[in-house]
Formats: sequence, C-alpha cells, structure tokens
Amino acid sequence: SSNKGADYVYFERTTAGFSDDAVPRSKAAQLKLEHYYKVAVEAAIERNQRRVELERKLAADPTMSEERKQRQLQQLGKRESAFLRLRRTKLGLDDFRTVKVIGKGAFGEVRVVQKTDTGKIYAMKTLRKDEMLKKDQLAHVRAERDVLAESNSPWVVQLYYSFQDPSYLYLIMEFLPGGDLMTMLIKYDTFSEDVTRFYIAECVLAIEAVHQLGFIHRDIKPDNILIDKDGHIKLSDFGLSTGFHKQHDSSYYQRLLDSANGVTSPTAAAQAARNSVMVNSINLTMSSKDQIATWKANRRKLAYSTVGTPDYIAPEIFLQKGYGNECDWWSLGAIMFECLVGYPPFCSESTHETYQKILQWQHYLTFPDDVHLSREAEDLIRRLITSPDRRLAVEQIKKHPFFYGVDWNAIRNIEAPFIPRLRSITDTSYFPTEELEQVPDEPVNADTTGANKDLAFLGYTFKRFTISSQAF
Amino acid sequence: TPTSPSAPKPLYLCSPFVEAALVKGNFKTIVMLPKYADVMEWVAVNVFEFYTNLNQFYGVLAECCTAQSCPTMSAGPNLNYTWINQDRKSVQLPAPTYVDYVMTWVQNLLDDETVFPTKSGRDFSPNFPATVKHVYRQLLRVFAHLYHAHYPQILHLRSEGHFNSLFAHFLAFGKEYELLEPKDIKGQQGAVVGIGALWDKWKEMGILESA
Ligand SMILES: Nc1ncnc2c1ncn2[C@@H]1O[C@H](COP(=O)(O)OP(=O)(O)OP(=O)(O)O)[C@@H](O)[C@H]1O
Repeated sequence: SSNKGADYVYFERTTAGFSDDAVPRSKAAQLKLEHYYKVAVEAAIERNQRRVELERKLAADPTMSEERKQRQLQQLGKRESAFLRLRRTKLGLDDFRTVKVIGKGAFGEVRVVQKTDTGKIYAMKTLRKDEMLKKDQLAHVRAERDVLAESNSPWVVQLYYSFQDPSYLYLIMEFLPGGDLMTMLIKYDTFSEDVTRFYIAECVLAIEAVHQLGFIHRDIKPDNILIDKDGHIKLSDFGLSTGFHKQHDSSYYQRLLDSANGVTSPTAAAQAARNSVMVNSINLTMSSKDQIATWKANRRKLAYSTVGTPDYIAPEIFLQKGYGNECDWWSLGAIMFECLVGYPPFCSESTHETYQKILQWQHYLTFPDDVHLSREAEDLIRRLITSPDRRLAVEQIKKHPFFYGVDWNAIRNIEAPFIPRLRSITDTSYFPTEELEQVPDEPVNADTTGANKDLAFLGYTFKRFTISSQAF
Repeated sequence: TPTSPSAPKPLYLCSPFVEAALVKGNFKTIVMLPKYADVMEWVAVNVFEFYTNLNQFYGVLAECCTAQSCPTMSAGPNLNYTWINQDRKSVQLPAPTYVDYVMTWVQNLLDDETVFPTKSGRDFSPNFPATVKHVYRQLLRVFAHLYHAHYPQILHLRSEGHFNSLFAHFLAFGKEYELLEPKDIKGQQGAVVGIGALWDKWKEMGILESA
C-alpha cells in the first residue's frame, strides 16, 4: 500500500528454471501445510473444550473427593497423550495377529485380529488393490474410509486405523461379535413381526444417520447389517456409498446388464423380462419353503462373489437417470420382505433375472399365499418397494402403523431380541468360520515385514479422539 | 564486521516477503503444552511434524540444491556448517549430502522405538530431551541453508508465506521448550547465521515473542 518503506523490493517471479513437476509439487506441499495448520488449530480448540468440559463437570460435583477429581484430570491427560502418540504411530500388518477369519467380501476377507502391543481386538478387512483397480473400485474405498472415519454414530461400524501395502488396503474396525443379519436369516429362515420390527426400526435410524452424514449407502443388504455384543445393529461396508454420485457407477451396472444377456438397454432388459414371465409363473407355483431352500443354498456363495447380489438394489440405480438417498429405503423394503417371507422379493436363479425383475417390479412384487403378513407390514413394504417419487421418506416411515409402539429415541437402549452369548472377546461362533477354513490366516502376498508401514489414519486422526482413546 | 556495507540485504529480510505468512497471529495456541498432557509426547509429535513438513519442502527444492550449486552447507556469508563424521572429525560436505545425512539420521531416530516410542506402554528414555535438542539443532541448520541459499527459489514457487510460517512456528516451539540456544540461531562473530537477523526482525515485528 502507501507506505512501502525502504526495504520494499520487487521480485520477478518465474518458474522457468524448474523441472516440470516442481510447481505441482510445491503446490502439494503448500496444501499439505495448510491442512496441517488447519487441523492443528482445530485440534487445539477441541482439546481445550474437552478439558474445560471436564473441569467444569468436576467443579460442579460437590460429592466427589478432591483426590478423585485429580485422578480424572490425570486420566484425561493420559488419553490426550496417547492420542498425541497415535499421530506418530505407523501401523502395518505385523502389528496385528490373526485370531480367525470370519468373513469374506468381494475384494478380500474379514479377520478378527489382536493388536499385539495392547491386546485389543478388532475386525480387519483386507481389500485387494489389483482386483479393485480392475473394477474401478478404488475411489469407493476412500468413500468407505471417509464414512467410517467421520461418523461418531452408534449406528455405523467404527474405523480405528487404515493402512496399506503394495497388495492390499487394510481397514481396522471395531469387531462386532454378533455376526450379521444374513447369517441370522440363514439360521432362522424368517422372523416374527415383532423381531422384524426391531431390526427394521434400528435400520431406519441407521440409514437416517448415514444420510445425515451426507452419504447414500446404496448397498444396504443383510450382509452389511452387523450385530454388536448386545444384539443391536450397526451398518458396515460403505464400499459403494459415496458423498458424490459417480458417473461410472451406473455404467458399471450397465455393463453388468449388457454382459449378462447381450441386452443393450434398460428398455430391452424390460422386454427380456416380459418374455421370461413363464419362469416366474413356475416360481409362483413353488411353495415358499422350497424357495427358501433354493435361495439359501446359493445365498452365501453370492455374498462371496465379486459381482455381489443385486437383490436389494433399487431400480433407479440401474438406470442412467440419477437418484437420491431414497434408494436406501427401497433396500430396506427388500430386507423387510426377506425377514418376513424368507427370501428377498426379486430373488431368482440368476443375477440377470433378478435385475430384470427389479426393473419390472410392478409385475414381480408379490406376496406368497402361504406366508401370513399383517396388513401394516405388507403396506409398509409396498410403500418402500415402489417408484422413488412415491416412496416414503424417513419421517413418514417412522410414523407408519407397522412401527406402532416403537420408541425411536430409546430403541438402542432396550433389550434386543437376540443377544449373542459370548464366551470370550474373541468368540467367533456367530460367524460361518468352518466355511472359511481354506482362507489363509495372512492375506497372500501381503507385506508382513512391516517395511510398508503407513501413518495411522492419514488426515483423520484428530476427529477420532473419543473413539481412538478407547482403542489403546 | 566482515559484511561489507554494500552487500545487498537478503530477500527474506525485505518487504513484502519478511511479513509473508500463512499463519497469522500468535503461535501460542498450537505451541503451548496441552494441560495435563505429557510434555515428552507433545514435543515428540511436534518434532515429528516439523521434520515431515520441512522434508516436504526440501523435497521440492532438492532439484535446486546440488553439489554444484551448493558445494558447502552454507547458512550465512561466512558460515558453512560442518558434519562430524564417524571418526569424530568435522568435515565440509556439499549441502545436499549434508541435508541427506540430517534427514536420514532424523528419520531413523523417529523410526526407532527406543528413541521415539509409539507402542503402548513404552516410555521415553531419559536421554530423550538431549536427543531432541540435537535433532532440533540440525533441523534449524536445514532451515538456515534454505533461507540463505534458496530463498529466491522459494519466491519463484510462491511458497514464502508457507515457509515463513513453518519456520516461525519452529522457532516459537523451540523457544518454548528450550530446544534452541540463541547462539544456534544467531551464530558467532565472524560467522553469523543469516536467519539470526530474521529472528530479530520477526521479534521486532511481533511475529515472534521477544524476551
Ligand atoms: N466389523 C466387523 N465385525 C464383525 N464382522 C464383520 C465386520 N465387518 C465385516 N464383518 C463380516 O464379514 C462379512 C463381509 O464383510 P463386508 O460385507 O464388509 O465385505 P465386503 O468386501 O464389503 O463384501 P460385499 O461388498 O460383498 O458386501 C460381513 O458380512 C460380516 O459377517
């Protein structure tokens, strides 16, 4: 401005003498430093808030002894110190010991692991990078990590650490010992309406929580509904959820559709569906007991395949026209149907047929005669498995007569219908471990030498205070 | 003094660059020890992050810092740092070699569980404060060389605000935990450190606390 002073110099800037990547690299260094200071200031503020809150709470408690108050403050200091240490901590596979393989997903396995220095138990999900690259899924992992890391929600499986080596990405999550809803459905065939009400009501709150974080799950299915030690649910697997709608997702489904039958467009797919109406009429003559048996015989195989099951995916996701978070309520309708009937509404011999039935849901959504559903249950399902514009929104869902008597604010605190009976913190009896015996304890080709350690948590460390502090 | 009066003032002391900053205001909020937290953990994580951030910037400037351009680890008109080798002899090294030795040495310390423990239940050794002081002094030398020899390049890359703030933070932190001696920052008669003048200037400007 006006007073430039004697020291003022003019300097002609040029990047002429630099290599091509010097400019982008210096920009990257600048951005990292900006992020560093932003986070450092936020962390200082949050730390301060935690301290002031505790000090205030202690000051307001006349019954607690001075000594105990001091101890609590020291405890806070210990947690803060442990949290500072986490920022320097690099983790690798060799920091964890496998207890048991408990699950299989599209791109790897899920193992119960123990952190060797603390003895704490976690679930570790491995994702094969090469497989994911083939399927354009790497972007999704970021989404998964973001959702899991940013939420403090009791409805979402907590992510504690993530790291990678050249072959795999690793997500270290809280271990939910109760298994998943798919395994439970395989065991029980169907649930009573009361039990269904409990799980579906919890799912409503869980999906609402995901939506409030700004995400659409898009892949809600019984395999992703996990059961905690008290029998309450949490959602996992944000492999497909994303804060931004990615164009290639719909083209991915499109390719699946195309490859299945030389079919080239959704309209053609619908045509093909109409032609296969005979197959469906045969199905209709089968008793639902037979359907359940056939369905269940294939269910787990489908869960382990890279294609995954399309049974719960809303039709608008297959079409190229875009969609909103209503798609998750369709999935919930399909899950509710399965809980009461024993198989999902559009299940078929092949995935391709399932796609077709979903696109033509008006023709294929039928309730079998030999299963009795209450009017309220059927009505709710029909208001979820419907076109997006007519589908109920969360507030309407909560008010639906099917949920009569549900206390939406307290449901997580009431006693769950099935409470896992666990003999130890590493009890895996709620998982199909015998089916996974051929899966090796360590991922094949993983770096077990610790040479490829990653900083725990990249940008997320600061947000995880309360959670991470429990993780030590 | 040996500096001739006609020597042009280093750019980092000139306006508008001397006041360029990414972080405005006082560093106190991010330097002060969080109440009830362990001072060792606090110093450890901050040293770790100073190292990471400085390394990041050196990585960008490394292409300009070669054995030809910088045959010595210069940090002032009459100051070249020497490295103490295995035979305890002090030797002149080209700046890129010197910096590489410093960074490798610090990285190895940071990765050493006995020096910078990360595992639960492991404590810092009683030597930790001495080791950290040593680390801090060497990192200061890397800053000093970059300011003395590569500031124009920092300007070309429009990084002066960022680099200034990182260094000012480094100085503020070093002062708070007594990791730096004034003589490390200012040098000695006849061998002044270029950034010594910057330190004075920033104190005068209120960017750093005086006293
Ligand atoms: N945190 C966890 N605690 C306990 N079990 C888990 C946990 N995460 C996953 N599992 C088990 O592993 C199975 C597979 O996990 P998940 O569904 O996340 O894999 P995936 O690779 O995403 O598969 P897909 O994409 O096909 O759903 C789950 O159905 C569940 O049984």
